[in-house]
Amino acid sequence: MHVRKQTSTGISRLIAVLCACLMGAGAAQAQVRHTPVTDAMLLNAQKESNNWLMAGRDYSGTRFSPLKQINTGNVKKLVPVWSFSFGVLDAQNTTPLVVDGVMYVTSSHGRIFAVDARNGSMLWQYHHPLPEEVGKFMCCDVGNRGAAVYKDKVFYATPDSHVIALDRATGKVVWDVTIADWTKAYTMTVAPLIVKGKVVVGMSGAEYPTRLWIEALDTETGKQAWRTYTIPGPGEFGHDTWGNTDPDAWKFGGGSAWITGSYDAELDTLYWSVGNPNPDWDGTNRKGDNLYTNSTLALNPDTGKIKFHYQYTPWDVWDYDGNNETILADIDGKKVWLHGDRNGYLYKIDRTNGNFIWGKEISKVNWSTGFTPEGRPIVNPEKVTNYDRKVTNVCPASEGGKWWNPMSYHPQLQMVFVPSREICVDLLAGPSEREEGKYNLGIAEAEWHKGHGQFVAFDAKSGEKKWTVTAPSPFTSGVLTTAGGLAFAGTPEGEFMAFDARGGKTLWSYQTGSGIVGSPIAFSVDGKQYIAVPSGWGGWTGWATWGGKGGAPHLKDNRKGGYLTVFALTD
Amino acid sequence: MKRFLLALGAMLILTGGAGEVPTSPSGSANAVNPYEGDADAIESGAALFRRVSCHGCHSGNARGGTGPDLTDDVWMRQPSDEMIFNVIKFGRRGTMMSPFKDDLDDDQIWHLVSYIRELGRLRKAEGD
Repeated sequence: MHVRKQTSTGISRLIAVLCACLMGAGAAQAQVRHTPVTDAMLLNAQKESNNWLMAGRDYSGTRFSPLKQINTGNVKKLVPVWSFSFGVLDAQNTTPLVVDGVMYVTSSHGRIFAVDARNGSMLWQYHHPLPEEVGKFMCCDVGNRGAAVYKDKVFYATPDSHVIALDRATGKVVWDVTIADWTKAYTMTVAPLIVKGKVVVGMSGAEYPTRLWIEALDTETGKQAWRTYTIPGPGEFGHDTWGNTDPDAWKFGGGSAWITGSYDAELDTLYWSVGNPNPDWDGTNRKGDNLYTNSTLALNPDTGKIKFHYQYTPWDVWDYDGNNETILADIDGKKVWLHGDRNGYLYKIDRTNGNFIWGKEISKVNWSTGFTPEGRPIVNPEKVTNYDRKVTNVCPASEGGKWWNPMSYHPQLQMVFVPSREICVDLLAGPSEREEGKYNLGIAEAEWHKGHGQFVAFDAKSGEKKWTVTAPSPFTSGVLTTAGGLAFAGTPEGEFMAFDARGGKTLWSYQTGSGIVGSPIAFSVDGKQYIAVPSGWGGWTGWATWGGKGGAPHLKDNRKGGYLTVFALTD
Repeated sequence: MKRFLLALGAMLILTGGAGEVPTSPSGSANAVNPYEGDADAIESGAALFRRVSCHGCHSGNARGGTGPDLTDDVWMRQPSDEMIFNVIKFGRRGTMMSPFKDDLDDDQIWHLVSYIRELGRLRKAEGD
């Protein structure tokens, strides 16, 4: 709707000359290509070393770049080469994409931009006109987690539950469909995933009485291909896990799906995780496992049919919101997924059948004392709250463990790098007041204890911790790893850091100006490697300063922002 | 023609472009909370704070969550009661703060202002 095209459109589909950037003496004409993104490119995204083609970089969701021009030996020479303002504040949760020198990046408040990835020149921007009141129906800010690209289009979801396809060359809307009613708190922040010609998305809204879902749309038309509710309806497996005191518990049981899934083409299986039940902390009237909340679903990508699942936190009364990503890895000849959960455990699960292999503590865990041989967590009854029972020092607090910010898997080192925290909480459940479009948290008291941040590297084979870096605040960015032996992560204070992936030594740091709650990427144009990171503090930050205290009270009045900083080596 | 467009533009800016006038709720330059310090209004404001989900962003005691702490001295550069009233009623465009004019009448908004002010007073009294 609000497209501002700053340059001319091309005459062919393959090449369009969109801007000529004079850079002083010796300036060269910059050409921007809009290479069609094919299924083959997506299936082989790991080998597309120049590009970053989907939120998790590849269908396995590794966030590992094979680029190594920037490495442990020279990372200290990394300097900012361009920056880009989104023109809006609040949570910048995005992961940018890069296709042959063109970056597509979303921001808070429903915006998307196409940018020349060499110099930050804007090619076009699109501002979806948001209803003024939408923030009232979003628990955790008017953010967005990124876009998806396929053929000649770029796709993104908006807070008011539109899924929009834009022409990648011009930014013009190709189609715009509304898939849910935001006035009842059905909202969207997810970065879509393209699978077999469909754009797959998942809903937000589990802090409100909702019944959420995962949905696939035709990339050409936006027509719905399938919708799978994350809470089974009558007659479906798992429907009877919502207790017998409230016949409508399942209809309003939440189960969000706002973290992008992953896809195994060989098994032709889509993996997508599901978040917390509603009400978040009050389990009184939903006694049972509350399927499929806090689970990863294995889905048929053609039909959305559920093949199997693994549940991380049955009957969640801690708001452990298990919709975090699944990273697909092949380790010791076994096809597994790795999942870091807010319940404090890092999981390794057989992705051919959903069988539990191991769960290891990322941070201190006391809500559970371990696992049954089948992989069901053994709940510590001392940490279960109800209306009459305040429980103290529950570890971890609702944000983990590992919060939603995505971890990274380094396939060469077979190590997984987890942004984390050590924060515990006191909880007293409260009666729920179900009303559509209104918060329904089921909490009377919550008090986060002061804690600290940590960045933890695990051996993905054994689950052994290899190293831990601690910091005053939790690591709130996504993680990037590279073949240059580096792991990048960021903090609420805005520090963007590079670590030696093998040993955890801090090698480089840069102050980006605002808290980092998005995810860094690596890409290459004309033989030069770049690192990009969004910054802009926001989102659910109650854990930090709740009630004037909280897990990281020094973050009170932390600076907001809204920009992207891109780095390269000095010549 | 240009002058007409400029005048139209100025009008749109003044009216917020949508027929609303996000200035004084009473039309005066400095509206005064008619319920300042009123115990019943404070109690009503406390109930409304939960009913319309203020607590979801600002926390149960208004000391900040996704939204800012409403009980300290630095919040929004020490706003007047009227400014708080207008932010609740009309929201802050381009931020998370939505307008609540369709959820609350003017009296109810003043009750909320009274409650927020009371929380600030209590916090000061505690020396926190």
